Amino acid sequence: MFMTLKLQKLKTLLNEVQDLRSVGDLLEWDQQTCMPSGGGESRAEQFATVKKLAHERFVADEIGQLLADLSAKGAAGDYDSDDASLVRYTKYEYDRKRKLPSALESEIAQHTSAAQEIWVKARAENNFKFFQPALEKMYDLKHQEAEAIGYSESIYDALLQEYERDMTAAQVKSVFDPLRAEIAPLVKAILPRVDSVSDACLHQPFDVDKQREFEATVIKQFGFDFGRGRVDVAVHPFEINFSPDDVRLTTRYDPNFLNPSLFGTMHEAGHGMYEQNVSPTIRRTPLCGGTSLGIHESQSRLWENLVGRSRGFWIHFYPKLQAAFPHLAAADLETFYRAVNRVSPSLIRVEADELTYSLHIMLRFEIEKEVLEGRVRVSDLPEVWNAKMQEYLGITPPNDKLGVLQDVHWAAGLVGYFPTYALGTIISVQLFERAIADVPGIPAQIERGEFSGLFNWLKDHVYRHGKKFTPTEVVERATGGPLNSAPYVKYLKTKFGEIYGV
Amino acid sequence: MNTKYLDLKTRLAEIHDLEKIRWVLGWDQRTMMPPKGGAVRAEQLATLEKVRLEKWTSPEIGKLLDDLRPYQESLPYDSDEASLIRYARREYDKLLRVPPALEAEMARAASIGTEAWIEARKKSDFSIFLPHLQKNVELKFKYVECFDDYDHVYDVLLDDFEPGMKTAEVRAVFDDLRKDLVPLIAAINERVDSVSDACVHGHFPIDKQREFCQSVIERFGFNADSWRLDPTVHPFASSSCTTDIRITTRYYEDFLNPALFGSMHECGHGLYENGVSPALERTPLCRGTSLGLHESQSRMWENLVGRSRPFWKFFYPKLQAAFPDQFSNVDAETFYRAINKVQPSLIRVEADEATYNLHIILRFELEQEIMEGKIALRDLPEVWNARMKSYLGVDVPNDAQGVLQDIHWSSGSIGYFSTYSLGNIISCQIWEKALEAMPDLYEQFERGEFMALREWLRENLHRHGRKFTPKETLQKLVGGDISVGPYVRYLKSKLGEIYRV
Repeated sequence: MFMTLKLQKLKTLLNEVQDLRSVGDLLEWDQQTCMPSGGGESRAEQFATVKKLAHERFVADEIGQLLADLSAKGAAGDYDSDDASLVRYTKYEYDRKRKLPSALESEIAQHTSAAQEIWVKARAENNFKFFQPALEKMYDLKHQEAEAIGYSESIYDALLQEYERDMTAAQVKSVFDPLRAEIAPLVKAILPRVDSVSDACLHQPFDVDKQREFEATVIKQFGFDFGRGRVDVAVHPFEINFSPDDVRLTTRYDPNFLNPSLFGTMHEAGHGMYEQNVSPTIRRTPLCGGTSLGIHESQSRLWENLVGRSRGFWIHFYPKLQAAFPHLAAADLETFYRAVNRVSPSLIRVEADELTYSLHIMLRFEIEKEVLEGRVRVSDLPEVWNAKMQEYLGITPPNDKLGVLQDVHWAAGLVGYFPTYALGTIISVQLFERAIADVPGIPAQIERGEFSGLFNWLKDHVYRHGKKFTPTEVVERATGGPLNSAPYVKYLKTKFGEIYGV
Repeated sequence: MNTKYLDLKTRLAEIHDLEKIRWVLGWDQRTMMPPKGGAVRAEQLATLEKVRLEKWTSPEIGKLLDDLRPYQESLPYDSDEASLIRYARREYDKLLRVPPALEAEMARAASIGTEAWIEARKKSDFSIFLPHLQKNVELKFKYVECFDDYDHVYDVLLDDFEPGMKTAEVRAVFDDLRKDLVPLIAAINERVDSVSDACVHGHFPIDKQREFCQSVIERFGFNADSWRLDPTVHPFASSSCTTDIRITTRYYEDFLNPALFGSMHECGHGLYENGVSPALERTPLCRGTSLGLHESQSRMWENLVGRSRPFWKFFYPKLQAAFPDQFSNVDAETFYRAINKVQPSLIRVEADEATYNLHIILRFELEQEIMEGKIALRDLPEVWNARMKSYLGVDVPNDAQGVLQDIHWSSGSIGYFSTYSLGNIISCQIWEKALEAMPDLYEQFERGEFMALREWLRENLHRHGRKFTPKETLQKLVGGDISVGPYVRYLKSKLGEIYRV
């Protein structure tokens, strides 16, 4: 068979796999936003069936053979071409999936649902001991998974690469260490002055319809296309999509607190714009989607924090927000700006502010790495957790519910996932800095409520490529340098130094 | 239990999942999907259908069905197991006859045809649609060639919607119906102005409509744990399983009927799906047995219940309270007459209970004549208009309001229309049985009680799903074949009273 025919055959097979994966995603969206509760049991079966079919079809020998034939250098075109990238990426994913024995995979899947139920109960009852055996088993299974997949340095690499396919624990550590060294003292300096900033103006009644309207205006102006997307309500907000032309965001409204939906919507819109702007030429292929969790998170954080929590943004939008909510008249722009940037070291990661958030992540990264490497025992986790909280944030959780039991990730088998949140934040500042260097008018545009300069730069350097390039390649191609936390440190010092006078 | 049976059941469960997933995607497309999501959604639906057909027609299924023959024969005919094997055998044999390439070509032609139809209807230009209709019909001929056991070519098409039903049988039933309907409608036509429906036109805030519709269907069995009601452009009912029923409706601010009767209609469909025995969940038997039987349920709740005097004895004061500006000066009898007004009209979906069937008979005849090669497709507008004049006495001003009004032919659904009238006819056969079993049914309605009817329907029809063919199902339910007697009696008595004819 000629290479072009093989490539065509491969694409046809992958189109179907991608369709089935997207269908699975649609079922999930439906379950979380629309499905009546009675539909749950059958939905689980439908979801399992479509997942299984997508998996079976993807790991088929036929695809393996085609990938092997097409992987010869130049067989599918230049490195940057869609076709060569498709073969390269798919081969990576295929090899990884084939390495995982299906018996182990289904054992992990089973234990994942069992462990989550146990975790829910353990957290409600503030009882780590109850969760401990399930967590031990989970780490044991993840250990087996990592061994099956293989690694060269740390066993952690094998799991991290599920989310960041060309990063290593050593690389993560090399950006986290200097970051912590700079942030921890900054947090300690701000701690005594926390009350110099008040966020009272954000805690007032805010009509939900008005919130929805305002947020829609904002993200539309960012570049989110409502012709190819929508926003709904979900208990735990997320972004999901079934093609670049069908991107669904979700949010959660608090009628007495502006932040959750306001910043949550901007956050999810960042994810959504990434997905909407993947090149149409790679639709219905495994390349169609953000390249890694870290790069994805760089986009949600960029729009939420670097744009949405900036003074420039609110110079344009605050009068509009005040028009929507006249009772904000009492708070001037500066008061509002300080309120949305208030720092308050908290026990809970998902409630953390921009400054302290990364510290929560580093703590988790270090702990999960040490457990996997066999240097910390699961039974010691509460103690290790609390000690690190004290060291990094200067606070000690009063109980495990507010400590080691707060996140679902480990119960859900998501070991190696946490660092992607902080990597995203770090990368967001690298990209933002570079975008401004390339397009110096961006800050002035933002003050006028214009985002096309930033949006187009991101589309060109990040969005359109989908998964064609690895996360490291994306950072290097877009910023001209490697992953680096220095811009992020500089950003935090400048911004919070100014707000808190430290 | 027989391990081969379990193997078959597992395979069919996955096939059924794929079918239900397709319904969820379809519901999403028509209620939630952003406007530009359609192109990729079409691909996703095509892939799902391809995978589903591959699974259905796999040699493993054929082998299992062969091996299970003795097991099936050892079981009681009515058992779930024997019924599942029986149904699977029939479906497998049928699907196996149609080459996947033809299936794919029909699906593509349907999708392109629908796009063309939308444009043709918008511009009222039949010539835009003609080549696509020709393509669809040509493919139907190829489809018919895949089969050999039929009396009339049209039998093959009919069987896709009403399994086991023959063209000759439908023709006989429709002939009977027309014989009685035409003089009845002619008599009413002379007194058409004795009933006014002015009161259902006016101003009806949509939120209030939604609330009222919901309050009605909640008494029919709708509940938030297992149902949803959403707005859409072309209303339909759909389900993901027996406890996830999605119905849709369409609201007009200036006209009460579409949402009010539409939501009762779709609720009737939903109740059928909701009432299938939980033991059949995740099998291909977990569905209404045919479109005709399905339609009997939607029509029953919409017309026999929802357009009845006892129903409105209970609900009319509530409707007046919801729309005081509109109804405070309208008495119950005027309202009852308004919602039962008969008026020959151009558009099928807007037709009243009596004239509706003539729209169907016209389409049924044309479809047959097309498949018999008696009508050249380019002449269709002319033939359509002539028959509308002769059956309903109306002049068709343009093709948009004539031959182009329905989506069905554009999407390849030739053979579908007759099931609407079969549903009307069957609904009254069932109704007479229900009244025999529960003589106080109307008194219950007057008190706003509908659960006894619902339970009776569940027990005698819904729970069986597809265990039995439509004919068997009807036989069990009414003790006979389809027959127009009850329907004609119903129309004559109801409309005779209203119009004094």
